[in-house]
Amino acid sequence: MIQPLTEDKRVTLTPGSEGLIETQTLEVSIGPQHPSTHGVFRMDCVLDGETVVALKPVMGYLHRNHEQLAERMAWLGSMPYTDRLDYFNSMTNNWAYALAVEKLAGIKVPEHAEYVRVIMSELTRILNHSCVIGFMLQDLGAWGTPLLYAFREREKILDLFEAVSGSRMMCNYMRFGGVRVDMTEKDLAVAREIVARFPRFLDEFEKLLTTNEVLLARTQRIGILPKELAVNASISGPMARASGVEYDIRKIDNYGVYGRFDFRVPIGDVGDVYDRYYIRVLEMRESIRILQQALRDIPSGPHVAPEVKLRNFKIPPGDGYGRVEAPKGELGFYLVSDEGGKQPYRYHVRPPSFINLTTLEDMCLGHKVADVVIILGSIDIVLGEVDR
Amino acid sequence: MGFIGKGLFEGMVVTARNFVGSYFDKERLVTVQYPEERVQTPENSRTFPFLVYDDDKDRIGTMRCVACKICETECPPQCIYIVMDRDEKGKPQQRPKVFDIDISVCMQCQICVEVCPFEAIKMDNDYEKSQYGRFNELVEHLPDLLKSNEYYNKIKPTEASAVDAKLKAEKEKKAKKAAPAAAKPAAATPKAAAPATPSAPKPAPVATTAPAAKLVIPDDAPFSPEQRQWLSGFLSAVSVGAASTTSAAPSTPAPTAAAPAATPAAAPAAEAAPAAAAPAGNWPWHDPGLGMQQRLDLAKSAPLADKLMAAMAQTDCHACGYDCRGYADAIASGAESDLSLCLPGEAETANMLKKLMEEAGKA
Repeated sequence: MIQPLTEDKRVTLTPGSEGLIETQTLEVSIGPQHPSTHGVFRMDCVLDGETVVALKPVMGYLHRNHEQLAERMAWLGSMPYTDRLDYFNSMTNNWAYALAVEKLAGIKVPEHAEYVRVIMSELTRILNHSCVIGFMLQDLGAWGTPLLYAFREREKILDLFEAVSGSRMMCNYMRFGGVRVDMTEKDLAVAREIVARFPRFLDEFEKLLTTNEVLLARTQRIGILPKELAVNASISGPMARASGVEYDIRKIDNYGVYGRFDFRVPIGDVGDVYDRYYIRVLEMRESIRILQQALRDIPSGPHVAPEVKLRNFKIPPGDGYGRVEAPKGELGFYLVSDEGGKQPYRYHVRPPSFINLTTLEDMCLGHKVADVVIILGSIDIVLGEVDR
Repeated sequence: MGFIGKGLFEGMVVTARNFVGSYFDKERLVTVQYPEERVQTPENSRTFPFLVYDDDKDRIGTMRCVACKICETECPPQCIYIVMDRDEKGKPQQRPKVFDIDISVCMQCQICVEVCPFEAIKMDNDYEKSQYGRFNELVEHLPDLLKSNEYYNKIKPTEASAVDAKLKAEKEKKAKKAAPAAAKPAAATPKAAAPATPSAPKPAPVATTAPAAKLVIPDDAPFSPEQRQWLSGFLSAVSVGAASTTSAAPSTPAPTAAAPAATPAAAPAAEAAPAAAAPAGNWPWHDPGLGMQQRLDLAKSAPLADKLMAAMAQTDCHACGYDCRGYADAIASGAESDLSLCLPGEAETANMLKKLMEEAGKA
């Protein structure tokens, strides 16, 4: 039933074998129910032997009408739905949406709330990156070990999220003009402890992985994304930085209070799977630095702007785009408010996973099927965000 | 650089250390044996909503929910369904008859809790909700949803004590306001006292009537404290009931006036109350126990804003973004053009507001 992808690539001959054996390409559908596709995602691969000659990503299995739903309910109503976009990083999703609304409505966020937001999103970044490395290694065949070590650390951060926001993953924590509940002194102490202990875990994690010969052999020079292509395909996040594109919205936009922190943006030079792995390790180290500064400098004050109404919140007509550096890349919300302003007239999400996924074929061509799985793992997709 | 396989070897050392360490180090062993061992969830932890009531003897009567339907409107996945209770005459009772939450739809976002002005709906932290079916079993009805304030205090002590303090302060403020307001009309015309007593839709029966009951039960009577409390509540209810049926209205104490106002026996007295002479800041129609027609009659000779206010549900629920007074003033002054914002008043209020505005436009 599956139509051939590209007619010209359908039959190829292995060089040197002309006239000996006639080979034929094979079309394999990986997914949608396959553990290595990280959700319900399908790849139509055309294989010559084991080599990929064409690949078509098929998405939409998890489409939930996110944007249309948001256009029929009040501004606040879609905040919990943003948790479900990239369900690993509900904090940064909340922040991106809140930022867009704040820009549109001209709300000023109290300083204390900005710091709490930074703490929460950097913890989210650590959580996401350590787990993504675990998943990627799982795809590589390292069954369980790195992933479960990562999950063990993630658990501590999720416990903090639950203590502060009430829920481990679907936090629904940010509000227009601040955050829903304040972090108590006890919560801050827990965060400090997590931050103090995390480098030890990271050192151990690196010892386990970074110089491991199997990892090096499987990931170096695999799935190279050239810098030009990364720019042209508007790739963002760790993937773009691994290809050598200096693009970090925390540095460019200085949204929130990111301008006050001293941190570096790691840049890769080859743009292969290994670079994407190692960039994430380095980013976790930078996140720890940001967290240390934020937890040291956090001022006291209100946790939410007092003038923002919870109900009957209206926004004057206009449009606004708010973006944050989510762990997976640039997450943006484009909102249009019209007459009445009770709900968005247009609500659009710019999902990093989805746009990063568009270069999948370019990275996979010429590699083996087993590599496709790692390359997909190194993109770091969450289907909740790809399909929305 | 070292030898080939050094990275592998070091990795093995790490895994070995974690394996051995998991027997000694709490840091490295994070699993719990679930059904035997349970993790204490943090106080903020949330699962599904429940409704708070104050008194175990009268769950429905002391329920804080007034069926204003704010949560129903604001719920993002629309999993709440409310029908307001009405008596046989069709008068709204300021409490839900039906309150259903479909927990298979609920996404535990807590927005219903945040928007509730009455502290009536709160988040539970019970995570063991498995059911043997997929349909009716997953819809929680009013009796399942009702949980006591003590339970709320038990699961979320910090939050609940703050709520209790806030409600107490509000009650005191209301009582202070009510005292001079009730005294004035009572001095002028004793009959007007009943409808003019501002709202107090759910008076705590035990608290107000306990002193009278003490006289009835001797101290040496063989009752346990619970039995004594129940008996005193029962006897005082009987004595109040007797007082109202013998139509000794002027002698009925003010706090109990709202309760008999809902009974048919007291209704004629309320209807017969004089409409005129409403002092500024005192609105006799601002009583959710009254029917729409009674409220409008009370405001018959009042200016437009007061008439509009009388058409509303009088719950001060802020569903429209104002209190009842504020919404009426906003409509009258033209600042608010939407006449359908009164959620507890339902279509009745919306239609009446439209009618009143049309009448005012013609005049």
